[in-house]
Amino acid sequence: MLDQSKTDKITTDLLRPIRLNKAFVLWMGFLGISLVICLYAYTLQLKNGMVVTGLRDYVSWGMYISNFVFFVATSLIGMLISAVLGLSGAKWAAPLARIAEIIALAFAAVAGLVIISDMGHPERLMYVFIYGRIQSPIVWDITVVSVYVVISALLLYLPLIPDMKICYNKLEKIPKLNRWLYKILSLNWNGSLEQEKIIKNSTRILAILIIPVALAIHTVTSWLFASTSRVGWDSTIFGPYFVTGAFVSGSAAVIIAMFFYRKNFKLQDYITDLHFDKMGKLLVLVSLVYLYFNLNEFMVPAYKMKKFDAIHLNDLFAGSYALMFWAVQILGLVLPILLLLFRKMRKPLPITIIAIFVIVGAWFKRYIIVVPTQEHPYLPIQNVPLNFKIYSPTLTETLITIAPFILVLIIITLLSKLIPVIPVHESIHQNEETQNEN
Amino acid sequence: MFRKHHFIKISLTFLITTLFYLHSFAQNWDIPDDKKTKNANFKFTNQTISEGEAIYTKNCMSCHGNLGKDNSLKTLNPIPPDLASVKTQERTDGELFFIITTGRMLMPSFKVILSEEERWKLTSYIRSLNKKYVQIVSETNTSKSNLIKIKMDFDSLTNKLKVDVKANETSGVVSLKDAEVMLFVLRYFGKLQIDKTVRTNNEGIATFNFPKDLPGDKTGNVDLVVKVSDEIYGEVETQSKFKAGIPTDKPSLTEKRAIWNVLKKAPIWIIITYTSIVLIVGAVLLYIIYSLMKLRKLGNN
Repeated sequence: MLDQSKTDKITTDLLRPIRLNKAFVLWMGFLGISLVICLYAYTLQLKNGMVVTGLRDYVSWGMYISNFVFFVATSLIGMLISAVLGLSGAKWAAPLARIAEIIALAFAAVAGLVIISDMGHPERLMYVFIYGRIQSPIVWDITVVSVYVVISALLLYLPLIPDMKICYNKLEKIPKLNRWLYKILSLNWNGSLEQEKIIKNSTRILAILIIPVALAIHTVTSWLFASTSRVGWDSTIFGPYFVTGAFVSGSAAVIIAMFFYRKNFKLQDYITDLHFDKMGKLLVLVSLVYLYFNLNEFMVPAYKMKKFDAIHLNDLFAGSYALMFWAVQILGLVLPILLLLFRKMRKPLPITIIAIFVIVGAWFKRYIIVVPTQEHPYLPIQNVPLNFKIYSPTLTETLITIAPFILVLIIITLLSKLIPVIPVHESIHQNEETQNEN
Repeated sequence: MFRKHHFIKISLTFLITTLFYLHSFAQNWDIPDDKKTKNANFKFTNQTISEGEAIYTKNCMSCHGNLGKDNSLKTLNPIPPDLASVKTQERTDGELFFIITTGRMLMPSFKVILSEEERWKLTSYIRSLNKKYVQIVSETNTSKSNLIKIKMDFDSLTNKLKVDVKANETSGVVSLKDAEVMLFVLRYFGKLQIDKTVRTNNEGIATFNFPKDLPGDKTGNVDLVVKVSDEIYGEVETQSKFKAGIPTDKPSLTEKRAIWNVLKKAPIWIIITYTSIVLIVGAVLLYIIYSLMKLRKLGNN
């Protein structure tokens, strides 16, 4: 009996957020209006061309591409939490798997749209398929990002099938369309052992498959840069450098999401201090690895200071990018590592504040990787106006850069209003297991 | 001892620096008087100006900047002047033509790169912003150049090229004496001058030593261009093919499969790797979808 009441409590707790309330409507309204403003900026770009941005002949990859790299990076966290931690049997991470997958799916799906904003006219995307060459990292990137979106969606969906059935059974007051959707998506789930086995096996296969695919998406994204011989991009460690950096921004994104879900969805019993503590330790680990790659990436060329490297590095260390560079390295990487070594700093509120610093730093880090290199070409820049030499983003461009973030928030909000963000079926299962052990 | 050394070192440095300055100040355009008074034998028109502008953009703008904008490349020594400046405009057409033709220090010679006509068109563009400028057209008879007949003869044994320059005057055929002759071979990106510029002898003949190792096409053919400039007859150019080079048959860089080639000529290993990865991942995903369909069926029973 006690068992049943506990199960009921879990179900009601986890399904409670799935309803329309005032806060949701207000929040979506805010996101909707912001999106409309940003889309207006995009129509300006469509009408007048890329001249409305700060992009010119020399710096042709600016905020859009930095944004793309950031989005792909953040989406990698799905692989780390649901696949790596899941396969290695870290049980504490199980309740966070769905949050990580929602983030992964949202960021990966929108990353493709970010690229389209950089193309100017959207129909040019077709040219990639018509004229693309399989020798080009761009084609590989498009392939792996699309595959990653599909796998992430499946990895989100498979553990969700039993939950869909629970939603269908328990949520009776919701609109008919939603119930019908739950019914279709629950795929006639009846909880038989055979069905359990299929879900378990398929999830396992996908969890294994997503590891190389996720590594591939960010490695290939890094090759878009590293396969050229330009200063700052011409590096053999760019692949792992990008991948480790991705785990940093992704972990930070998950921590922030955890904080908001815990507070707004009242999930204090399910996303506990233990989870924040563990995520804090994970963030320290991945940040340390990333710091190590940063050391290699900057220390080795800076020791040699080859002619063209020197121009680039001086600009980063002591020139026009110095403030951004050191802020990113210290506020976004070194200080978070040091602070998170203390247990008190891994409590929900402090760690969320630190995670915000980390994620903002991660965005600017992408900017530092993408933009300054193009201002330092091998051939001298001659007889061009000043705005060709120095890239400065315009307001229109900034609004178009913000749009993908709004889209990601809309996707995350909608998903968390349609599906339980903590796996219900699994939580019940785990609860039963612990009770049996007792 | 040490001090003495030091003193000598400093004095030497000072001396060398001073000499360098004097050198760069003292050296100026040294233009012969007969060249100063030279003029174009056609009228400068909007047509010649716009053609000259295209030549200017391609050859001059990278250093001299836009005409009249004073944005020349100031990091060079000496600084290339803005050619619309008063100092440049005070020069005669002949002086400008001479400067373009010969070049000096950092300024390259355009004698080989641009034809005489192109150099005059360039001059017409440089004049285009000057409102006070009045052109003096040369009275040389241009039609005289039509009379020139050039005969080229290549001797493969001695590797020498003989150029015979004659003029068909009404009074009969005359040999062009002391005319300037240049020999070029056509390459991918322009004309490559062969041997030195020579002058015709009394029989109107100029002889060039041709290199033995010049790559030709598959059969060893090369395109030779001879340019004759004469004070009276003007400038004439003629082109013809000779079997004077070494037969070369190098496959073009885009002939074989390569990473830089088109999709159809992608390297086999990339095609295999890419396709097999896509197929394997695709197969796994199909299996997952199949499993889900099985799961749905199980629920029906």
